[in-house]
Amino acid sequence: MSRLASQAQVLLAIAGALIVWQLVVTVMHVPVFILPTPTLIASHVAGNIAQMLGHLGLTMAETVAGFAIGSLIGALLAILVMQVKPAEALIMPVAVAVSMVPTVAFVPLALIWFGVGMSSKVAIAALAVSFPVLINTLTGLRRPEQAHVNLYRSFGASSLAILWRLRLPAALPSLANGLRVGFARSTVVVIVTEMLGAYAGIGQVIYQATAQMDSTTVWAAVALSSMASLLLYALLVGVLRKTIWWN
Amino acid sequence: MTRKGLLKSIAAPLLLLLAWATIVPALAVPERYLPALGPILQNARAVSGELLASVAHTGWEAVLGFLLAIVFGVVWGILFAKVGWLERSLFPIFVALQTIPVVAFGAIVVIWFGNTLMAKVFISFFLAFFPIAVSTLHGMRMGDRQRIDLFRSFGASQAKVFRLVELPTALPAIMVGLKTGLSLALVGAIVGEWFGDTVGLGVMLLQALYVEDVLRVWVLIIATGLLGSLLYGLVSLCERKFVWWRIE
Amino acid sequence: MSMMPAAPSGQPLIELVNLSKRFGEGANQVVAVKGVNMSLQKGEFVTLIGPSGSGKSTLFNMIAGLLPPDADGGIVFAGREQRHGELLGKVSFMPQRDLLLPWRTVLDNAIVALEVEGMRKKDARDKARALFAEFGLAGFEGKYPHELSGGMRQRVALMRTFLFERDLILLDEPFGALDALTRSLMQRWLLDIWAHHKRTVLFITHDIDEAIFMGDKVAVMSTRPGTIKYSENIDLPRPREAAVATTPAFSAIKKRLLAVVEEESLKSFEGSGK
Repeated sequence: MSRLASQAQVLLAIAGALIVWQLVVTVMHVPVFILPTPTLIASHVAGNIAQMLGHLGLTMAETVAGFAIGSLIGALLAILVMQVKPAEALIMPVAVAVSMVPTVAFVPLALIWFGVGMSSKVAIAALAVSFPVLINTLTGLRRPEQAHVNLYRSFGASSLAILWRLRLPAALPSLANGLRVGFARSTVVVIVTEMLGAYAGIGQVIYQATAQMDSTTVWAAVALSSMASLLLYALLVGVLRKTIWWN
Repeated sequence: MTRKGLLKSIAAPLLLLLAWATIVPALAVPERYLPALGPILQNARAVSGELLASVAHTGWEAVLGFLLAIVFGVVWGILFAKVGWLERSLFPIFVALQTIPVVAFGAIVVIWFGNTLMAKVFISFFLAFFPIAVSTLHGMRMGDRQRIDLFRSFGASQAKVFRLVELPTALPAIMVGLKTGLSLALVGAIVGEWFGDTVGLGVMLLQALYVEDVLRVWVLIIATGLLGSLLYGLVSLCERKFVWWRIE
Repeated sequence: MSMMPAAPSGQPLIELVNLSKRFGEGANQVVAVKGVNMSLQKGEFVTLIGPSGSGKSTLFNMIAGLLPPDADGGIVFAGREQRHGELLGKVSFMPQRDLLLPWRTVLDNAIVALEVEGMRKKDARDKARALFAEFGLAGFEGKYPHELSGGMRQRVALMRTFLFERDLILLDEPFGALDALTRSLMQRWLLDIWAHHKRTVLFITHDIDEAIFMGDKVAVMSTRPGTIKYSENIDLPRPREAAVATTPAFSAIKKRLLAVVEEESLKSFEGSGK
């Protein structure tokens, strides 16, 4: 099936689901606090658009910042582990031990250390992203076979040159995979942190709306944050596909 | 697991604990950031009863959600693999649902079900369901066409081909999904508790946060990590015993 | 094109009548098999020499019932023309890859076809165990495929094929992946098994020596579109001994076959087949 046709089919499926949703809720008189209609949610978003976008913008900014920092840390650590032998024994046990703990358990720590402002969210996002990026990048760096490495050594290449010419390019597809996985985690984790403590942001909006049983606002926030993270994810995938096209 | 493998996997955390016990006091790291192992253990002992109850409570929520997710996730994955139009029409909705942040989903679930065990289990289930379904679908697609044809040449029915070839082929991929799903189920249980509960690791984390008790927070971080490792270890054990093969 | 068989004459076990298979439409159409006519008598061992790209796998898939032949031809089995799917379960098919299930022991791999038939696992296992010595796998019942060498895995697949008691056995280059020494041993061993179990065998190979050594009758397939270009009876005495490969009679047959095969291989090499 052509690309356009399958995209159209996806849109059709989602549109269909929305229509079914609207009909079921309306016909069965489902109370608003259980499930509002899509139209009600949309009008709520439209009515509060400036405010909601403000919160959304903050959340997304924290996500992107944390994602960038975490990816950098993860990639650098992977390179360090690859190039410097003793670094592996130092870094990997810590990384693995940290990864065994669900990231959300670190949220109170981040809030205590960094306070309720943006930096705690960025820190948590960075933490969530760094491990997948580290593991995936390391796998990619290690992929070239010894025979291939030996070939480069026979050309007189230094360890650094081998890293630059052979390992890094070979690692890019895995790195891309780590970035995709890491991004998904970072969006979730930022909202969770905002829920526990923040001045603003989608997470706070959701938390407060829940306390007030204002399900319309909750759904509105959900709709907006879902769309925003889908958009950012699509952007990321698009950029990756353009730059690492041989994957 | 080989002797050497077992030794290796214990050595790393042991080394880490050793380093923690010695380096941290040596460097006099302020307690606010990284307390020494001693005070952490003391703090843990002080609330050991509550701690164990919380671990059991949160663990139980996660496990229930996880088990439900396995049942529904595997079935849905198989349906998606076998029924083409189902996959084409429902999978996009699947993907869209996956983007709902756990906090948001938790909020909605709590509005629906209140602060009950069922709500937490549902949150865990929701988070774990998707990776399991997706990896089941992926595993079903790894079916070797030639192997399936061979069995068809024996006169095997679709059901027999599924039971004898397709399902065992999919199991390694399903296991990968199970491991992802398990860690997500634990996350779901903890976040669910933040919406209001009396017992649980999430509850204790919240309490420690409000009084800024860094020691307690570290106790809980370690406890959560141990719970996660234990559950993960159980799944890995099952994998080693029952799904030990790899598909090329 | 039926021949004077070494086996009892009478109604052929299987007849391929103008068998064809085309894939695709119009300008992009690929004719894999075209107008294949062949018949096998019960108990015959027929070898088929097929260069790569000759559509031999497609031919086998049709005989095994996995692919429907094109409407202008058909397969007559035990006197009845077969509709699509009817052949499934009637022929014992062994593809090129051993396709053993990695999660089952050697014993349980051998019995898969019997299980599909509906035999009880215990009965199937007993039946299989009896053959282990004959197939040179005694003691390996409880091992897993990844613990076996390539040659041994091939023998497990052969055991599976023979346990599935059907009159016709299709073997698609079973010894292709083996080294020359192992292959020569396996050839003689397979002929022993065939003589003992009395089945009809259609055996594909790209090795001319193997084709002459093993068969009562040898046929050569052309490159795409695949058709039977040449066939002849092999009148060498049975049981075949290793020394027969250097007799003048053998060489004469080989010379004739080489000429035909070279012609086809050249065509395939130059890419003239479509």
